[in-house]
Amino acid sequence: MKLDTSGLESTAPHFGTSCELFSGFSAAPSFDLPVTTDFDGFQKESIQMVKPAKGTTTLAFIFKEGVIVAADSRASMGGYISSQSVKKIIEINPYMLGTMAGGAADCQFWHRNLGIKCRLHELANKRRISVTGASKLLANILYSYRGMGLSVGTMIAGWDETGPGLYYVDSEGGRLKGTRFSVGSGSPYAYGVLDSGYLISYNTCIRYKYDLSVEEAAELAKRSIYHATFRDGASGGVASVYHVGPNGWKKLSGDDVGELYYQYNPVSTSTVEQEMAESSST
Amino acid sequence: MTKQNANWSPYDNNGGTCVAIAGADYCVIAADTRMSTGYSILTRDYSKICKLADKCVMASSGFQADVKALQKQLAARHLIYQHQHNKQVSCPAMAQLLSNTLYYKRFFPYYSFNVLGGLDNEGKGCVYTYDAVGSYERVGYSSQGSGSTLIMPFLDNQLKSPSPLLLPAQDAVTPLSESEAVDLVKTCFASATERDIYTGDKLEIVVLNKEGLHREYMELRKD
Amino acid sequence: MECVFGLVGNGFAILVADTSAVHSILVHKSNEDKIMVLDSHKLIAASGEPGDRVQFTEFIQKNVALYQFRNGIPLTTAAAANFTRGELATALRKSPYMVNILLAGYDKETGPSLYYIDYIASLHKVDKGAFGYGSYFSLSMMDRHFHSGMSVEEAVDLVDKCIMEIRSRLVVAPPNFVIKIVDKDGAREYAWRESVKETTVS
Repeated sequence: MKLDTSGLESTAPHFGTSCELFSGFSAAPSFDLPVTTDFDGFQKESIQMVKPAKGTTTLAFIFKEGVIVAADSRASMGGYISSQSVKKIIEINPYMLGTMAGGAADCQFWHRNLGIKCRLHELANKRRISVTGASKLLANILYSYRGMGLSVGTMIAGWDETGPGLYYVDSEGGRLKGTRFSVGSGSPYAYGVLDSGYLISYNTCIRYKYDLSVEEAAELAKRSIYHATFRDGASGGVASVYHVGPNGWKKLSGDDVGELYYQYNPVSTSTVEQEMAESSST
Repeated sequence: MTKQNANWSPYDNNGGTCVAIAGADYCVIAADTRMSTGYSILTRDYSKICKLADKCVMASSGFQADVKALQKQLAARHLIYQHQHNKQVSCPAMAQLLSNTLYYKRFFPYYSFNVLGGLDNEGKGCVYTYDAVGSYERVGYSSQGSGSTLIMPFLDNQLKSPSPLLLPAQDAVTPLSESEAVDLVKTCFASATERDIYTGDKLEIVVLNKEGLHREYMELRKD
Repeated sequence: MECVFGLVGNGFAILVADTSAVHSILVHKSNEDKIMVLDSHKLIAASGEPGDRVQFTEFIQKNVALYQFRNGIPLTTAAAANFTRGELATALRKSPYMVNILLAGYDKETGPSLYYIDYIASLHKVDKGAFGYGSYFSLSMMDRHFHSGMSVEEAVDLVDKCIMEIRSRLVVAPPNFVIKIVDKDGAREYAWRESVKETTVS
């Protein structure tokens, strides 16, 4: 007679997966897949559970003194605002930032994963990874998961041996090198403001205003985010602005866009109030 | 017998609401004890709150089977951690572990909506809030589950702590005392029970502070 | 929208591609080089999904280089085209690459050649070819004005005519184009045709 030992086994498979506990930090993790005949349909259903941070405005651009990265902080599920304090600018390491648009968990997890990979590269090669390399690392991971429903639209901004670097990476596997990007539902609005402050003239030859000061650039970024949150219902909360220079990134500002409105549109006392003030003084 | 038909789903929603509030030196985690499916109430006395470590408590709503599986997984991981390090896992570490655990099932998610409350390494109250696939964020207070859309605006109104993203930074700790926070939790659950069919029966409140952990209960409407 | 075309002249082949990276209604970038220098005497212009385009052309480039390392001689243009087609064909029944390719090259024995390969892995040797919305204009223009044994000047003139036609007739016309040439002296960038200038970091 064979003994039934199944009762001795723990119900939670914590030893079965223990290998991932010790070695899974550097390798790309493996994922459970549902036992279903209709994987696509299942994906479509389960994507509903994922809090989509689709409604977003993020931007980044290169200028004389480095890279400016800025974002709003709202997360919405349909019409419901699920958070007003999302950290959409992810600090990968002291010299590199990532932005978050698309699935919140997808962005957060893979940026964390990228941070680990960058640190390991640093330990193995005794030098920091280039922005080019880091962005390609992320793009290749995302490309390997294409068609499986990941939703990521990110910009990798940083400073490496070659100077400032900026890449746009998305979950379709796209990876673009550039000098200025904006991602998310509010991006057309952000581009509108960003381009007008960035480009001097629109006719014949558009000139790129490269030699902004850090203050000018930060203000331009903040304005762009502010105007995007003003027009795009899915963007809002706090406009955060970061600067990446030769000595790493620094957060320059974080302003509640609700209060920015009154900064940009100072309340002037109405004539009636003025008259009343005058009459009371006499 | 066919294993699956067209509208078969591996998920159910058992409802329930969770709230957590962090204070300067305490943390309040609360959840109702009702478990339902559709219009049927399955039980009036099922705890949604799970103690993961000495200073770390998780409240979860959603699909009970997934919640149970998740709790077991975390308990097992914590046991291993204790064997390896001979200490309790800290709340911020458990927060990231929960995030990773949820994300490892990204393509077959745990249908669970969690808030994690506890005390951080300095003894300050901390609350972490999650989505089903592991995106997480440290906040001053949070609500998850079926009644969250009713409770969250109320908490915003009562506690509105300045955003942690603001620069210059402002202190985000809830200004309430421990007993005031417990009263607030009781009020918001009493209100949510009035309008959410998945919330009710009984409220379980766990308070974490430097004295340790203590539980209290309050009866809610049972209709 | 995407415009990729090319033709074979007397002792050279020329490829043209738009340089816009588009996402829904947004132009993310207007200086994206979509023509890759495959090896010293080959050019590969690709249009299609951005992820697939980059991954696939880089894959082909690396494999062509690997062949040269292993065997000490480069692949002929015909061989590279057939290899590319083969890779597309195998991928087609698994997870297809959504890329259309124009492959131009110059071989000592056979001279310049141009190959048309689409995402469903059909391969044709052509002396003029095009992909994308721009193809409706450029194909007919090349049919009208192309003749065998064109000089570089004539070819560039024709290519410019095509670009002007696309810019003036196509609603969703891209602003900028890149022109590359391959001949006995190798593959190289010939010129950019830009109506919107995007600054590169100086």
